[in-house]
Amino acid sequence: METVIKQTGKTQAFKDKANKVMGISLEDAKITKSYLSVAFLAILLGGILGLLQGLNRAGMLELPAWLNYYQVLTAHGLLLVVVLSAFFTIGYFYAGLSHTLGGLLPKVRKMAWIGFWMKIFGFVLAVIPILMNEASVMYTFYPPMAASPIFYIGLVFIVLGVWMCAFGAFINVASWRKRNPGQHIPILSFFATGVFVLLFFGSIPVAIEVFTIIPWAFGWVETINVMVARTLFWAFGHTLVNIWYLTAVSAWYVIVPKIIGGRRWNDLLTRIVVIALVIMNITGGFHHQIIDPGISEPVKYMHVFMSLAIGFPSLMTAYAMFAVFERTARKKGGRGLIGWYKKLPWGDVRFLAPFIAMAAFIPAGAGGIVQSTNQLNQVVHNTMWIVGHFHLTLGMSVVMTFFGISYWLIPYVSKRMLTPQINKLGVIQTIIWTLGMIIMSGAMHWVGLLGSPRRTSYSTYFDNATALSWDPYLFFLAIGGTLLMIGVLMQVYAVFYLMFFAPKGNTEFPVADVEEDEAPTPRWTERWGLWIVCMIVLVGMAYVIPLVDFIVNAPPGSPPYKTW
Amino acid sequence: MMKSSVYGLLLLLVLMLPPAADFLESIMITHMHMQMPLLVISGIFMAKFFQNRFTGFFSKWNENGVPGILLFSIILVYWSLPRTMDEALTLTSVEVFKFISLPFLGGVPLRDSWPKLSSFWKHALIIFFTILFLALGWLYIWSPVQLCNNYLVIEQITLGWGFISTAFAMVIYLIYSYFMDFSKYE
Ligand code: HEM
Ligand SMILES: [Cu+2]
Repeated sequence: METVIKQTGKTQAFKDKANKVMGISLEDAKITKSYLSVAFLAILLGGILGLLQGLNRAGMLELPAWLNYYQVLTAHGLLLVVVLSAFFTIGYFYAGLSHTLGGLLPKVRKMAWIGFWMKIFGFVLAVIPILMNEASVMYTFYPPMAASPIFYIGLVFIVLGVWMCAFGAFINVASWRKRNPGQHIPILSFFATGVFVLLFFGSIPVAIEVFTIIPWAFGWVETINVMVARTLFWAFGHTLVNIWYLTAVSAWYVIVPKIIGGRRWNDLLTRIVVIALVIMNITGGFHHQIIDPGISEPVKYMHVFMSLAIGFPSLMTAYAMFAVFERTARKKGGRGLIGWYKKLPWGDVRFLAPFIAMAAFIPAGAGGIVQSTNQLNQVVHNTMWIVGHFHLTLGMSVVMTFFGISYWLIPYVSKRMLTPQINKLGVIQTIIWTLGMIIMSGAMHWVGLLGSPRRTSYSTYFDNATALSWDPYLFFLAIGGTLLMIGVLMQVYAVFYLMFFAPKGNTEFPVADVEEDEAPTPRWTERWGLWIVCMIVLVGMAYVIPLVDFIVNAPPGSPPYKTW
Repeated sequence: MMKSSVYGLLLLLVLMLPPAADFLESIMITHMHMQMPLLVISGIFMAKFFQNRFTGFFSKWNENGVPGILLFSIILVYWSLPRTMDEALTLTSVEVFKFISLPFLGGVPLRDSWPKLSSFWKHALIIFFTILFLALGWLYIWSPVQLCNNYLVIEQITLGWGFISTAFAMVIYLIYSYFMDFSKYE
């Protein structure tokens, strides 16, 4: 044990310090290591499947009958949007809770493990019918397409596993608050609380949806209300998107300033951004249904407004980040209107990857605003444009932030060190990934504007001239995809090298401090119960009118269809 | 402080503009769950002006906050009845009364009373409104007849679910404040 620890008499303070000096406890580290391993295996598998899709769409690869395009696409979506993001988010925030709250409680650790195995079990259940071509329903599994009931039962276990982890986090935070009266939850745990609140409340609608689908998939009931199912799905699907985003944002606010040797942005405003994102999120789901029939014009109009409201905290984030960069660079002697950027650590992958991720959010966010508008949505809906959009938001803004995190989080939990070689590998990986995504998502956006549909395996539509004109763009899509595959391999190599083979040593968990002269943050930011009530009221405002309409004026329901 | 009173007055004036009023009143649920709460909120903003003007009046008649909150509750209950909403649309005098009563007899006393109330009264009030909203939700959803001349049955059912979901949010809040002992955290 290091001799620098002063015996304070208070065991908690002692434990906190021990945690800081000696790093994470082995038991807590194991949780994060397991979650991150699954996340990066998912990206490996998902990446391979993505490449298969890209090559197929370019007409360069015909998939065998036993593994068709839609099976691959369902697995790609599920692996990347559910497995990768859920496992990374939980692994990262559990390490954050452990670090900032002085270790996980034994009970919480147990919950994290139960949640882990429930999710794995659920995932295996969901994959079996996909491989058997009994569940090619895409990760959105919209009725009236019906998969084998096993698929949905698998989803139930995934949701239950996620809830386990959410409640574990709540218990740990509540216990810390009891032990530290009058103190603010440490900022990273504050983000974690927001994320787990959203994970829990956001997955309630999809749980309801799945429970109405299961009897229908078994044939116990004959029909299902398609509009209700879609609406419940997107209340969840959209929230999930923002959960990844909020996870990435937490690193931008809390971690990146420390890595560049600065301080973080105003604590109160940061917490307000978290609260605003939590309250306003779920209602955004309707912007995925702008083309859906059965929703009246005024309701759609209201939802455009509710969606765009989320843009406000996002703009605050953009401002905050550049303010922090400039302030830090100027403190280090950066000069001039823009000359200060030279003082930032461009050669450090832990900065470079999240920086490019943030920069990518500028076009990605602009594209999002475009799609939220009724008329423009008509042009791009269900085209490859949408696929380009979410590879930019998810594949770049979110995933590159996750990559950047992995270069310090994995050494931190495995008590090893980031070597200069791996840092260099990371920088090259970042460049390859950036080029790959720009090429792939640029091609997707463009070919989408020309009308190429998403979720469609290669077809020339009987050599139709328009369809043939898409080919050059789809070829670029394949080139981008190939670059990305190289990036995936490098990243996965770096992750497992850092986890098992890098030289031993102590890596810091980089949490930035606030500015010294900052005013204390007011108490009311801690009233989570109140934020949750506000969120429920807003969800009520958004959903009561359309849901009552769908149910009371329902058309005849739909029987299950197997369209493949 | 006076600034908030001006904002409150502005909000009230905007709500009174015929296009704004017509739009909000054209849908039953926005009439009751959007326009009416906004009127109360405009009163909450304007309250400071009256509190400063009539300090003696408020401290004499609303010493412990209970009279004010009773007045607020009576006004709100009155405006939750289907009949009154209907009349507001047909009789100008009732419409005028709505725009006066909700801000000045609802919002102003609420602002003056809330900080004076003990936590017992605060919770009692929330419980009262939770029960009221559940009852109203039940009434609007399962009423066999059209309750308002001006609104269709489907709108009535929508409003009923609006009441139920608001009541649900209040129940969550009550549970939360029952289990959370804030003194333990401060
Ligand atoms: C090697 C890297 C990747 C390649 C080559 C790739 C390629 C593709 C392609 C070609 C499609 C199918 C478009 C269609 O037919 O509609 C697709 C869909 C999709 N990708 Fe990727 N992708 C990659 C990485 C990612 C990442 C990192 C994520 C998210 C974290 C992601 C999320 C998705 C999602 C959600 C879909 C939509 C599935 C659906 O429509 O059901 N992809 N990808
Ligand atoms: Cu969305």
